[in-house]
Order: sequence, then structure tokens, then C-alpha cells
Amino acid sequence: MIECERERPLLDSLEALAQHRDSLKRGHDPKRLRVRICMTGCRAFGALQVRDALAQQIEAAGLAEAVDLVETGCQGFCAGAPVLAVDPYGYFYQRVCTDDAAEIVATTLQAGRPIERLGYETEDGTRVLRREEMPFFRGQRLVVLRNCGQIAPRLIEDYIRRDGYAGLARALSALTPEEVIEEVKASGLRGRGGAGFPTGRKWEIVRASRGDKKYLVCNADEGDPGAFMDRGVLEGDPHSVLEGMIIAARAIGADEGYIYVRAEYPIAVEHVRTAMAQAEQMGLLGDQILGTDFSFHLHVKEGAGAFVCGEETALMASIEGKRGMPRPRPPFPAQSGLWGKPTNINNVETFANIAPIILNGADWFAAVGTENSKGTKVFSLAGKVANTGLVEVPMGITLRDVVFGLGGGIHRGRAFKAAQMGGPSGGCVPAEHLDLPIDYESLASVGSMMGSGGLIVIDEATCVVDLARFFLDFVQSESCGKCVPCRVGTRRMLEILTRIAEGQGAEDDLDTLESMGRVIKDSSLCGLGQTAPNPVLSTIRYFRDEYLAHIRDKRCPAGICPPLSTTPCQDGCPAGVDAFGYVGLLADGRLREAVRVVRERIPLISVCGRVCYHPCETRCRRGDLEAPIAVGALKRFLGDWEATEGIEVPAALPADRPAEVAVIGAGPAGLSAAYHLARLGYRSTIFEALPVAGGMLVAAIPAYRLPREILQREIDVVRQMGIEIRTGVRVGREVTLDELRRQGYRAFFVATGAHASRRLELPGEDLPGVMGGLEFLREVNLGTPARLSGRVLVVGGGNVAMDAARSALRLGPDEVYVVYRRSRAEVPAHDWEVEEAAREGVKFRYLTAPVRVVEANGRAAGLECRRMELGKADARGRRRPVPVEGSEYVEPADFIIAAVGQAADTEGLQALGLEASGDGRVAAHPYTQVTSEEGVFAGGDVVRGPSTAVHAMADGYRAAQAIRRYLEGRPLPAPMPAAKSPVAVAPACEGACPTRAAMPRLEMAERAQCFDEVELGLDMAAAIAEARRCLRCGRERQEE
Amino acid sequence: MSDDFTLTIDGREATAEPGMTVMQAADRAGLRIPRLCYHPELEPFAGCRVCVVEVEGMRTLAASCALPAAPGMVVRTDTERVTDARRLAVELLLSDHPADCLTCELCGKCELQQYAYELGVRASPFVGERHHDPLDDTNPFFLRDYTKCILCGRCVGMCQDVVRAGAIDFAHRGFETRIAGALGRPLQDTSCVFCGLCVQACPTGALVEKTRAGKGREWDFSAVRTTCPYCGVGCGLVVYRKDGEVVKVEGDEDSVVNRGFTCVKGRFGWDFATRSDRLTTPLVRRDGELVPASWEEALGLIAERLQAIRAAHGPDALAFLASAKCSNEENYLMQKLARAVIGTNNVDHCARLCHASTVSGLSRAFGSAAMTNPIADLRDAKCIFVTGSNTTEAHPIIGMEIKSAVKHEGATLILADPRKIELAEYAEHWLRQRPGSDVALFNAMMNVIIAEGLHDREFIESRTEGFEELAKTVAEYTPERAEGITGVPAEAIRAAARAYAGAETAAIVYSMGITQHTTGTDNVLSVANLAMLTGNLGKPSSGVNPLRGQNNVQGSCDAGALPDLYPGYQRVDDPQVRAKFEKAWGVSLPEQPGLTVVELMQAAERGEIRGMVIMGENPVLSDPDIGHVEKALAALEFLAVIDIFPSETSEYADVILPAMSFLERSGTFTNTERRVQLIRPALPAPGEARPDWQVLRDLANALGAEWRLESAAEAMDEMAALTPQYGGISHARLETETLQWPCPTRDHPGTRILHVGKFPRGLGKFSAVEFREPAELPDEEYPFILTTGRLLYHYHTGTMSRRSKGINELIPEGMIEINPQDAEALGCREGDFVRVASRRGEVEVAAHVTDRVPPKTVFMPWHFKESAANRLTIAALDPVAKIPEYKVCAVRVELAEPVRRARQPFRAVP
Repeated sequence: MIECERERPLLDSLEALAQHRDSLKRGHDPKRLRVRICMTGCRAFGALQVRDALAQQIEAAGLAEAVDLVETGCQGFCAGAPVLAVDPYGYFYQRVCTDDAAEIVATTLQAGRPIERLGYETEDGTRVLRREEMPFFRGQRLVVLRNCGQIAPRLIEDYIRRDGYAGLARALSALTPEEVIEEVKASGLRGRGGAGFPTGRKWEIVRASRGDKKYLVCNADEGDPGAFMDRGVLEGDPHSVLEGMIIAARAIGADEGYIYVRAEYPIAVEHVRTAMAQAEQMGLLGDQILGTDFSFHLHVKEGAGAFVCGEETALMASIEGKRGMPRPRPPFPAQSGLWGKPTNINNVETFANIAPIILNGADWFAAVGTENSKGTKVFSLAGKVANTGLVEVPMGITLRDVVFGLGGGIHRGRAFKAAQMGGPSGGCVPAEHLDLPIDYESLASVGSMMGSGGLIVIDEATCVVDLARFFLDFVQSESCGKCVPCRVGTRRMLEILTRIAEGQGAEDDLDTLESMGRVIKDSSLCGLGQTAPNPVLSTIRYFRDEYLAHIRDKRCPAGICPPLSTTPCQDGCPAGVDAFGYVGLLADGRLREAVRVVRERIPLISVCGRVCYHPCETRCRRGDLEAPIAVGALKRFLGDWEATEGIEVPAALPADRPAEVAVIGAGPAGLSAAYHLARLGYRSTIFEALPVAGGMLVAAIPAYRLPREILQREIDVVRQMGIEIRTGVRVGREVTLDELRRQGYRAFFVATGAHASRRLELPGEDLPGVMGGLEFLREVNLGTPARLSGRVLVVGGGNVAMDAARSALRLGPDEVYVVYRRSRAEVPAHDWEVEEAAREGVKFRYLTAPVRVVEANGRAAGLECRRMELGKADARGRRRPVPVEGSEYVEPADFIIAAVGQAADTEGLQALGLEASGDGRVAAHPYTQVTSEEGVFAGGDVVRGPSTAVHAMADGYRAAQAIRRYLEGRPLPAPMPAAKSPVAVAPACEGACPTRAAMPRLEMAERAQCFDEVELGLDMAAAIAEARRCLRCGRERQEE
Repeated sequence: MSDDFTLTIDGREATAEPGMTVMQAADRAGLRIPRLCYHPELEPFAGCRVCVVEVEGMRTLAASCALPAAPGMVVRTDTERVTDARRLAVELLLSDHPADCLTCELCGKCELQQYAYELGVRASPFVGERHHDPLDDTNPFFLRDYTKCILCGRCVGMCQDVVRAGAIDFAHRGFETRIAGALGRPLQDTSCVFCGLCVQACPTGALVEKTRAGKGREWDFSAVRTTCPYCGVGCGLVVYRKDGEVVKVEGDEDSVVNRGFTCVKGRFGWDFATRSDRLTTPLVRRDGELVPASWEEALGLIAERLQAIRAAHGPDALAFLASAKCSNEENYLMQKLARAVIGTNNVDHCARLCHASTVSGLSRAFGSAAMTNPIADLRDAKCIFVTGSNTTEAHPIIGMEIKSAVKHEGATLILADPRKIELAEYAEHWLRQRPGSDVALFNAMMNVIIAEGLHDREFIESRTEGFEELAKTVAEYTPERAEGITGVPAEAIRAAARAYAGAETAAIVYSMGITQHTTGTDNVLSVANLAMLTGNLGKPSSGVNPLRGQNNVQGSCDAGALPDLYPGYQRVDDPQVRAKFEKAWGVSLPEQPGLTVVELMQAAERGEIRGMVIMGENPVLSDPDIGHVEKALAALEFLAVIDIFPSETSEYADVILPAMSFLERSGTFTNTERRVQLIRPALPAPGEARPDWQVLRDLANALGAEWRLESAAEAMDEMAALTPQYGGISHARLETETLQWPCPTRDHPGTRILHVGKFPRGLGKFSAVEFREPAELPDEEYPFILTTGRLLYHYHTGTMSRRSKGINELIPEGMIEINPQDAEALGCREGDFVRVASRRGEVEVAAHVTDRVPPKTVFMPWHFKESAANRLTIAALDPVAKIPEYKVCAVRVELAEPVRRARQPFRAVP
């Protein structure tokens, strides 16, 4: 540990500084052992204790003289806090705890060897040990943060040694003030506080302002939630700001300055004061700097933490001792600022850029960045991104590179939703703009802003209404209260948002928000009010549907807004199955009750436990810690358990109840509708065109995923409730709706699915040997499939493609390839499907698009393909594939399966006379399932397009509710907030397994050539132990 | 002007001057932009956003109140974008505002209501949280209804930037933002001075006077413009009344004197006039008791007794006290009664007690005695030298001007005052001289100015005489020597001298701290010397500016209520003048000047004066050494008093005649800057009270004269005909303007600045003045210096202010300021009663322990009869002006026994 108060020479000339630097450089042994430990942000994670432990161990090992323990500022990688670096090896250790101290001393300091476990874990599970090997650091370019983490911020010597104050020396010796301004202008540096005003021009204006007294102010009133760039610089490298300020002061002709820093940055305040004292001690600040006739006196003004004081006129009022309220501009501070004198205000990061510009020249600086945004920008990367921390990147880098490159992507495979940039004044940048270059103009063009550099990543489990509400709540409570639009307007907007979040919103609220927001931006006094509506406006702009879900459906898709949400898992379920409830009951051993809870929402329990993609698990809070509860496996367990114990069939309909509803399609939607209607007391008849019931579940899902007897068992439950399923009847052809009406059916639910494969639309696709994915699966599932041989190509990346590939593999070909035009990251099929396919031997050709089917001997012999590369993002943030010119080649094939999408069978639909939406889908209301025809409802894939079984069952549930009311002549149901679980189960964590239960699977060897079920299911003990992992995060809500 | 430029507003060309805002340019072009937080007296606040306009090339809308107009600017005030913003602002304000226009006091005057009407906002479309803070009725004067507050900040601006009381500010943030007393305290516990500017500035019903609550709406009231009856500033007031009752008083925003500002007395202190103890019938003393009588009887009795005394002892056995509270017309008639009807020059009034030395000193130096420059000039002065004036308390509106000049315009303030008064906070140079050492201080300043060559040689050469003698005298007063006399460090004297002499324009403001000394005339001469030495006369924002104490001190002197001067300062011993008046009045007039106030009382005590008529004065409290005054009045054979209330003086009266208050009669007051202004009747007189002019006419006629006077206006016409300075002044003219004398002819616009180019006496006269000690200095027996003066809240002998309910709630009793060091030695805590004794008497009064006074100096206001300061003061007179030395006498202070405490904590001003 190094004492920061010591004797220091007075540098009374430029030569004295140069000589002093030389001697410091000579005195610095690059081979010496140094442990650099972050002593700023990492303190919150125990860095102080780690430092003490290390010091103790170093002492104990007798290394006190040999090792420097350097307390640095932020080293950037906050996700790994506490972090430290060991020189001269360059090892970068993270998540260090006191217990690691002894090993660090013994292994690394004494033996020079790294400790693998303290390295950074990459995606593939390996560890890297040096900063430069981490993706987090690879894309960075450090100008502002050049010294952060490298030097001891409380020692001016460290700064001087690394060319500190050399920029000042050059400014004082080689350049006139005007030339300094010219240099800064030429560099293209723009204000890093957010507005991006060209710094050199600002200086020029202040220099030209009349007045014998001028002030220079550093705005360090960083207050955005989630932003800590300025803090990082002030804590980690305060002299870089001082040097920039001194250069600026001389350039504009100021002799006095202020650093306005918030008092709740005590380390920053301390480091700045220390730096000022040392600089004054050495003649680098104060009177006659470096022996020249230039003097500059600096003060620290601690701000009380009002966000609005970041606004320059409010900041100046605060320095003057007045209430921090903005005043109208003009006059601009450059004309009349502090105490009416011309004043130049720049942000911390702006000042930190100055010395390097002066030292290295404008061209050096301008070589980085875009046309209008030069240099680098520091961001504090926060939110739902893997690698949080402080990053400095070249202007023009894409958001994708920051979030997915440096940031390591989103936690737990959730989808990226947006990045909130520019703090509460900024706006969110949605996935479709992931490839936007980060610069002032681009961000503004999408309704966001550079701001000071807050970058908060949000994922699909973040509700945008809630997000907007959070930021608006922040700004409205931080409003100074002076101007009406900001003071009252933001509160009114917040109240509207709150109503929406509570399910009390109306659709025209969105118009109101938009028009208010527009006027508030236009008519507020200062930047705070002029930007306050941004988070609301930008989320409405990009996520209107999510707002509408709150308003129309009384649903918070992310499961965040309390009145519209239950528990994360239940909210995550499209059918609203109360996973929280049945997992709790299961954990408590109350299995029957658990099954009943599932059956409240869906009839097909075992089926769903097998085929569902489990969005409930994506939301699970346990997943935020390590891995989510295996909700799907538990549901499957419950269904299978019940089957062995005796299925509790819901009460059958009374025998004399006539069938009043015709359900068309015996897929999951139709079965669900009939089932729920029966529970409501209405008998229906299901008409199915195929010879068997089950729809896609039977026609498309291979038996190794869903054994036929399981499906049959659960369809039988529906039958046992008194529902007749007439197979082989195609409504519209064999029987018309009118006929059915005459037979006494009063209501219809159309759930005919999407059984047609979409065509490749390529030459040669009608050749023998080319087949649609669904047709292929149907043949495999319902018929007797032909054996395959040679090379099979499956075109497409969806779930049907995976099922087709895996099914094909089981029919004996030599090789099965999946050809997909995007990359692995964009594959739409569920991850586990892709993984299982790969494990089973399916091979993948990514970034490969078919061009035409190659013919030989009158049948398909291959597929001409073209290599692709990824371009800009589409609306979901996926990068669009772009062909690589001249990359065509032929992929030989004996059999080609085209699994590029599904379509509804339009022929039958036309016969029903229903109004179609795009792609031939039936148009139905999203929560009453009402169609254009009186008494006709629709749901499932025929409405949604290819979707999932659980969505289909959800549609069936909604349709049943609506049909009942229709039959009773009552108004159709208004959307209701999701029901809270009636089940209150205390957490039973006793006997919980520590990690997620692994699903036992069929051995690879046993899978070949056979359609036996791959996943084997959990046993009772494993299931209960797994259920007990549940954190009961919804408990509070249960007890409300 | 040549710098004017043009811009386009709504397609029309508009012209503007540099420095104008877009709003001002629009106003000039006749285009009214809506506004809520804007107030012409305040810096633009730009918070309401109702005045936003669209400007070509600007990203957002801009508040026109704050946006500087620029050449070629293209402004639109009428687009949909602008209207949307205005509507939203009003809708948002209404969303947190009770829609209770039906019961709101401000209905019809409320500006929010007006814009809601103009923009067609029926009700706010927003439903949300509202504020429900309880009504604040904790102060005596006004109500604050937070629910109606639109946070326009006007009240805060008035408090902080105009009055600079700093009592209220914005508190909290965001929607919770509120106006609050400093540190969240109720107003009484803040530095509030209850001037009520906040109330007048409030655009909604958030601040309303208690007196008007429930009395009606603006359209129910009729307004009368008049002039404040309190101090010499002469603020224009607007009196609102309904059903013969005053409902509220506001400052007159059209008045050039106060531009709508007032102090607590002007705005809230009018209720004295409506008190039940008003005199309503003539009273005559029968068997020692004052009993009601008819006017005929009372007037007859006075005439009979006066004639009897005159017959027995000659006209000079009678004396007449006019009043600085009364109008010009009344004073004119009073002196005419004395001179023309009775035949004596024994007419004087209380101006003798405040500014006689100004009259004597400035007349000698310049040839006429009045404030040389208008009040408004102070705003632009580069340097202001205030001495002997606690301006912010005694002349609050001028105090505001001085504070604004310092804070807004960057004027340098020099203050010479023994007390740390509010202006000390604003002064760059505060010279804390020992009371009574002023001449030494001024001489030393002049010593520095001459020694350092800072004097205005050209002015001295061309405009003055007597410089050599002055230079010789002040040469003896080095700063070091002065430091020994005054206690002011020599360097401070030098610095102040340089600041004063070095300023482009420097104005001296003084008041009774200069005049009320046995050296009063010398002090005034010194002040005049200083101004002439630096050429600070006859030009804007400079001059010698005595602040007159009462509403009409200037006018009562102008009107000739002085023993040696006819109206317009025409000497009674000048035969030519006398001939003029004899001709006009048709009588022969006495040649010898009469006696002054204090001399009159002394003569009465001696039995030389036997009969007296006192109009609107209360010498028993106002004169020095009142023990003697009481004896003098008791010794009189006959005393008639004309007043609106019974007073300490009227207890000695044989006849009392009920007069009218300022709210009931017509007339003119001349304020301290020589501005003649009308008072207009707003209320019917109580009972049989009559206007003084009528009383005096009837009395004159009872005494055998034949005055055919039917109105105050006619009295003014008569006075104007005989008084050159007032030659062009008439009530008819004053209906539409106010006039600063000299105004010799009907088409003369009045005179803003005196002595431009020439002094009335020709050359200005320097007078070499030597320092003399005050008449009575502290000694072992009486170790403290007592100095006296006014409080902000009270006024003179309290006849008016102590009858104002609200004011009396704030300050119910007197006090004495004692330095903490002295208090500790006395064992005296804040609020303890002390006994204060001088060689002339003693009083008991509560102590206010404060470092406003230096050690060994105590200060007492003289408004309180229970603790009458003038029982202690000395009747030592300035040899020339005959003004008593109120500001210095020696007293002893000791704890009162038994121990008594003040009723409530003393409400100190900043």
C-alpha cells in the first residue's frame, strides 16, 4: 500500500516536468511483481477484504518488499467483481475472495503460475487468463479509460509516468490558446455529456465572449440510473480530467473552475481532491502553472444529488448556492454563466479526451469513429447482459457488437428485447436496430440518444411498460418543478402508465401518451423535460403490442406488472397453467391436487410435459441464480404418475345434454375447446379430417418425442367426458356448416391447423425425391414410412425441420444434413431440439441457402446452394442472411425434405366462408377467438400460423369461455387479468436437489432405427427433489 | 432609435430594441401573447410555458418571455403546435387545481381562468393525483391556498428578487414541488416582512387578502387610486371597496413611485381608519370632561377663546401646529389662518423634528432644500452612499430600489451607520461610525478625495464657491484622525471615499440619522460638500437625496407651515414677498418669524404661548423630552386639536374637532422626491367628521375671515397662484399625472432633477464645517448612547399603525436593542424588560439582544407610548435648524424589577 502524501518536487518549468517523468520512468521496473486490485466499484463485492487478505499473505510470505499492491480504479469488468490483475504476467483474476489470497501468493506471485479457476469462463467452458483474451476487452479501444485500472489514482507519479501532463506541457509550450482550440475542433470531439455539441466550437465561443472573468466547469453530476462512466474516470484517473480542464481553461481564458460532483460519489470526491492537492503541490495547478504566467484555480463543489443539476444552468445555480433550477437559454453559459460571467461547461469524459488529443494530435483522434462522431465512447453496460461493466468502444461500433460481442449476450438464452440508451432521457433501441452504428445521429434517428453513456440491456422478461414507468417515475420525481409540462405533465403520463400497468388502461391512452409526450418534449424548459417522455415514446413506438396486451388483454407479457401478473412461471405460460401452484403441491407431496391444478387449464398433461417448449422455465427466478426448475419434466411426471395411479377423469356431461358446439379439428386446440366446454357443461362434437385424433401432435410430432399411447391416453380422457370425435370427416367437404346448423349445432370452433408445407419456390422442387416436411412427418407418423438411404437434406431451421431430420435419421440413411440460411444463433427451433439432433448425428450446413434442385435421372440428385453471410437485423433482431456472390456449389442429395414453413389448408377454409388474414390464416379475435362469421370461433395454428401445442390449448380454453357466453346470449368476455393461483404452499426446500434434475435419456445406441421415446422422465424422488428447488418467488402474491 | 431592428411575428413585421424579448416585441406590435408566470418586475421565470412560440430554426418551442428578440427572427404565435402546447399547459395546471371558480375569490381576475376560457379548456382531460394541502391561515394578513397554487414563482420572485426578504422559496421536487417558508416554517417564523407583494403578484386564488375573503369578486369592487398615508415615499395605492367598506388595498402598478410595490403598512395598515375609536363628533371640555358638541358650538368656542387670548396677549401668544400628515391644502390653510387671520408667524409642524436641518443646510448650500433626484434614478446609480437612513425599514420601497440597484445593476453601496441594519448586508463599504461623529467622517472622506485628486475640478470651478476654505478645513481631517473620532478604520474611510468619488454617478441618500443632531445643519452641509466636491449634482442618478419621514413632510414645508417661510420657501422677513402675500390675502402680515416647535413648547411652558391649535400631530409622543411637552401643554390656557383619533396630546385639549382620514378626503401629498400626488376619497367619513380644509375655513370664518372655499382643489389653486414651484399644479392636472416641482406653469412637465446647470442660489456654496460633539455624551452615570428611530411595522407615534390589527399582532410592544456583550453584563436575556433612564425620565421596555447595535449603544423605536423613547431624549437643538438631537443622548440601562418578559418574541427584520 502506497502513501499518497509525500514530498514532491515543485515543477517550475516544462523541462522540470519532462525530467521528472524521465526519472519516474527509469524508476519503474516493468518486470516487478504488482498486484493491481480495483478498490472502487469492487468494494461493494469485498475488494477491501481481499486487499487486506492479500497484504497479509504477502507479508506472511515475506514478499512485502518484492510486490507492489496497487489500488486502482475500475478495471472495467464489473461482472467479475472483485477483480485484480497480476503483473508482469498480465493475469486477470475475477470473483476473487479472501480465501483465494493464499493461493494467489503461493501459486502466482511465488511460482508465477496462473490460477485457472479465477480466469474468465468462455462460452465453451474454457477459462482465459488475460484481459486481451476476453471478448469483453477485445473490442475496446481505450482513450478515456487509458489509465483506469492501470494506475494508482491517488498517486500523481503514476499518471505523470504514463505521459500525464505531457498534453498540458505541449499546450503551454507549443500551442497558443487559439491553436489548442483549433486542434480540438479538428479532432471532431463532441460533448460526451450527451448533447454532442462540438467541444472546440464551444470553447471558441467562450473564448470570444467578452468578459474579464471566465469560468470553466466540469459537469460530474452523473445521475442516470445504471450509469457510472464519469464516476469510473474520476475514481480511476482523476488527473486525466484535471489535465483536460487546465488545457481548456487556458484555451478559453478562464482562471477559475469548478468540478461539480455528486456527494454520493465519495471515492470520486476524495480522489479528485487528492489529485488537486498533488497537482497544486507540484505546480501543475494553481498559480503560474509549470512556471508559465498561466494560473488556474480549481474548486470542488459537491452536489446534493439532484438529477436536474446535470442540466448546465441548474448546475450553475447550484454552484452559486441557489436552488438547482434551470433557467431559459439564451443567454447561454458561454455568454452569461456562473455569476453572469462567460462559462464553459464540459463533461468528465470530454475533459478526459483532451490531453490525448493535444498530445497525439487531432488526426490521431479523428482516425477512430464515424464521419460525424469521432473517437471513442465509454458506456456502462448494465442490465440483462452477461458481461456488465465499463467499456470504451470506437464510435460507429454496432449495438450488436457491444451487447453480444463485448457483453457476451443475454443471460440464459432469453431473447434480447432492447437497449435503453442515454439514461432516462434516452430511448430504447429495439432488436431490429441491433446493427445500428453507435453514433450521435444514428441513435437520434431511432428515437434514442447517446446520452452520457448509460446502456441498459433488457430482455424478454423485462416489461417495457414497467421500464418506461421506472424511468418516467425517476425523471418526474427529479423534475425541479419549475415548468408545467415537466412537473405536472410527466406525473400525468406516469399515472396513465400506471393505469395501463394495472390493467386499467384504455386504447386511447396510447394516443394521449404520444401526444402529451410530443408536446412535453416540445414545450419544456430544459433538457430534462424535453427528454423525459423519450422512454415512453420509444417503447410505444417499438413495443406497441406489448402496451396493447396490457390494455386489451389485461396481460403483461413479461409477467412484471403486478396486477396483471401472477408468478413468473404462470405468466410465462401461454395457457396460464399455474406452474407455481402444481410445483408447490408436488414439492409438498400432494400429487393429486397438483394434477388438478394443471387440468384447470389444459387437458393434455403428459403430452404437454413432453412437447411444450416451456416458456415457464425461461422466466423462472431460480434460473437467475443457476438453472430454472424443470417445470416441463415435472408436469410430464404428474401426468404419467396419474396414469399409473388411475386417471381422475373430470365429471362427464349429463347424458341428455345435446351437442351444441361443433369443433372442427381434433388437434390440441380442438381437444382443449371441447374439454373446457364440457367442464362448463356444454357438449360438443369434434370433426377431424384425418383418420386419427391429435392433429399436429400425431401428424407432425414423432413418436420418439411423444409416444402414441400417451397421446391416446389423454385424448381418451376427453372422450370419457362424453365428447364424440368423428374422424375422417372434413367439414366443408363432407359436411357444411349449414348442415351442422340444421343438425342443432349452434356454435363452431374451427381449429383445423396448418398442415400444408410451404413450398421452397425453387426450380426443380416438384421432382421426385423432394418432399414437404409435414408431408414427410405425416407419412412417418401415420403411415408406414419407406426406408431412406444415401444423403438426406432437410432445408429449414424450425422445429419441423428438426423433427424431420431426426425422423429421417431413424429411417436408415447414410447422412442427414440440415441446410439453413442463417447461422446457429438464428435457428428458430428450440435449442434442445437442435442439440438432440446434433447429438444423434444430424449435420448442419449453416449460412447456406438452396438455389435450385439439381436433377439427375428424372429425380432430385442434389441441391445447388449458395453461401450466405449475415447482414442487418430484422424486426426480431436476427441478422438477415445476404448471399455471398459466386459462392454457389452443389450439395449432393438423395432425398430432400423442404421444411421451410407451414400453411393452413386454404381450400377447406374457403368452404367455411371465413375471413382470412395474411397467409391464408383465419382472422380471429386474440382473446375471444371470434371470427367474421356469427357463431364461428377459431384458434390454433389455423389462426396463428405454425405455433405450439400450448398456444393451441390456450386458444381452446379462451374459445370455450367465449362460446359459453355466446350460447348464453351474454356479452363476450372482457379480458381478465390472469387469475392468481389459489394454492398457497409454503416453501419445502428440505431435500431439494442442489441443481436442476437432469432428464434421463435413451442411450444413443438405442435410438438408431427406432422411434422409442428418447426422454425417459423423472422418478418420484427426483421429481419431488426438483420441485423443492422452487424458490416460491410468488409467495408474497399468494398471501396478498 | 438607431439600434432598433425588425423581426417577423405571425407574418407581420415588428420592431424591437436591443435587449427586448420576443414577448415585449409582440406587446409593442399590439400582439398579446398569453402569459402566466411572467411579471414585468421580475426576471423571466419561463416556467408556465403558456407564452411559448415557434421560432424558425429552433428545435423546440421557446418561452417568448425569456427569448431575446433578434434581427430577422421569424416567430409564430398562432400555429397548432403552439396552441397544443398552451392547451396542454393549461390542462395540466387544471388537473391539479380545484375547479371551484364558483366560489373562488379570484374568479373574474384569475389568469388561469382567463386562459382556460381563451383556449376553451372546459376541464382537464387528466385524472390524477391532486394536492390537498390544508389552507394556511396562520398569518394576520393573507391566506395561502396551496391547492390553487400553479407554482408560477411570481411570489417567490417578489420575495427574493424585489423585496429580498427570502422568506419563501420552492421546496421539494417534481410534482411535490411547493412554495414554502424558509426551512418549511410558517411565515411568521421566517424573514417575511409581510409586504404582500406575493399576494398582489399571485395570478390565481392561491394568495388572497383575509380582508377580502367572502366579500365579493373583482367585479363587485370599485377601485380608487390614492396615495399612501404612511412614509415619505408616497406610494400609489388602489383601494378596493364594496358597500362602503374597504376590502383590500393594492399597490398601484401604474405609479411611477412604487410600480405596484408596497410595504406592510401601505397594503395592510389601512384598517386604522375603520377603527371604532375614531372621533366622530366635536368634543368640548365641560367640567374637565370632553363631551360631544355641535360643530357650531365647538368652532364658536375656539374662535372665542383664541380671540380672547389674542386680545389680551397679542397674536404671538397663539401658536399653530400644522402637520406633515395633512395635505398641502390643509397646511396652506393652516399657515394662512395663523398669519392672515390671527396675525402670527407662530406656525410650525413636525418637519421641524425631522428635516429642519435639511431645509437649513441645503438652502444654504444650494438655495433650495429637497431631494435632488427622483427615486427611480437610484436604480441606475453606479454608487449609492446611504447614511443615517435605515432605508429598508423607514422607506421600504426605496430600500427595495437600493437593494435591486446593488444586486441587479451592480451598484456599489456605501453605508455609514452605527447600526448593522439590513443594508449592511448589501454594502461593499460599511462604515460603523460612533453616533454623532458624522462631520468628522465626511470631512475625512473629502480629505482623501482632495488628497488623491479625485475631486471634480471642472464642476468645482464652474458651479461652486468656497472650495478653498473647505479644502483648508478638511485637510486637518486625515482618515487617521477621523478614525480616532468616529471609530471607523482609516483604510475603510479611504476605500469608501475612493468608491464614492470614483463612481461615474453617485447618489447620497440620507435621512434622520444625519438631521436629528445638534450638528444637523453641519451634517447636511457636509453631505452637500461631498456631492459638490465630486460633481454629483444636476445629473441623473446622483445628487443629495434626503428621505422625508412622513407622507407629506415635503408638502407641508412647501405649503409654508414654517415660522419663517411662506409657501414656496419665501421668507416672511422679505418685504417684497410679504407685500405679495398681504395683497393676495388682503391683510397686513407680521414681519418677524415665529417660533419653532420645540421653542413653542418651551415658550408655552414659560407661559408666553397661551393658546394653541394642533392639527394632526401628537407632540406628547413625538417631541423630545416629553416630560416638558406635557408640562407645556398643561400650562396652556386653551388647546384645540383637530385629529381623527383621541391622542396623548388631545388629552390636554379643550376642544377636539373630528377630521377625516386619507381614505375619506381629497387633497395632495408631496412625496420625498417632490412629487405632488392626489389622495381621493374612497369611504364616507364617520359621523360628523369633516375634512380639515373645511374645518379650517369654518374656523377662519368664525374668527371673522371671509374664506369662500368650496373644495381642496380651490385651496390648491390659491396656493399655486402664490407658490412659484407649484404654479402649474392643479387637481385637474393631477387626475391624470403626478408632477415633480418645480412646475411653474400649466404646461410645465415638472422637474425630475434639480440644479441642472445652475443652483437656485447661483453657485453652490461649500461650507467649511468643523466637527462638534453631540450635546450629551455617555458618562459613568449614564454609560450608554441611546439612539432612536423607526421600525418597519410601526409608524411614528403609532396613532395609525398601532390601530392596525394585523400589524399589532406582529409587533404589539416596543423594545430596545442591546448588544449581546452589554446584555450579558446586565444579565439580561432576550425579551427581559429593562429600565432605561436618562436625565429626563425613565421607561421600561423589553430587550432585544442583537449585534445590530454596537456595544454601549442602545436603540429604541419611538412608536410606543408604553415605552416612549422621547421620555428619554434630549431637547438640545441645532442652533440653526432648531431640530432636536433625537439620535444621541446618554442613558443608563438596568434589569427591570420585578422581572417581566415581553409578550411575544420580537419580530426582527433581516
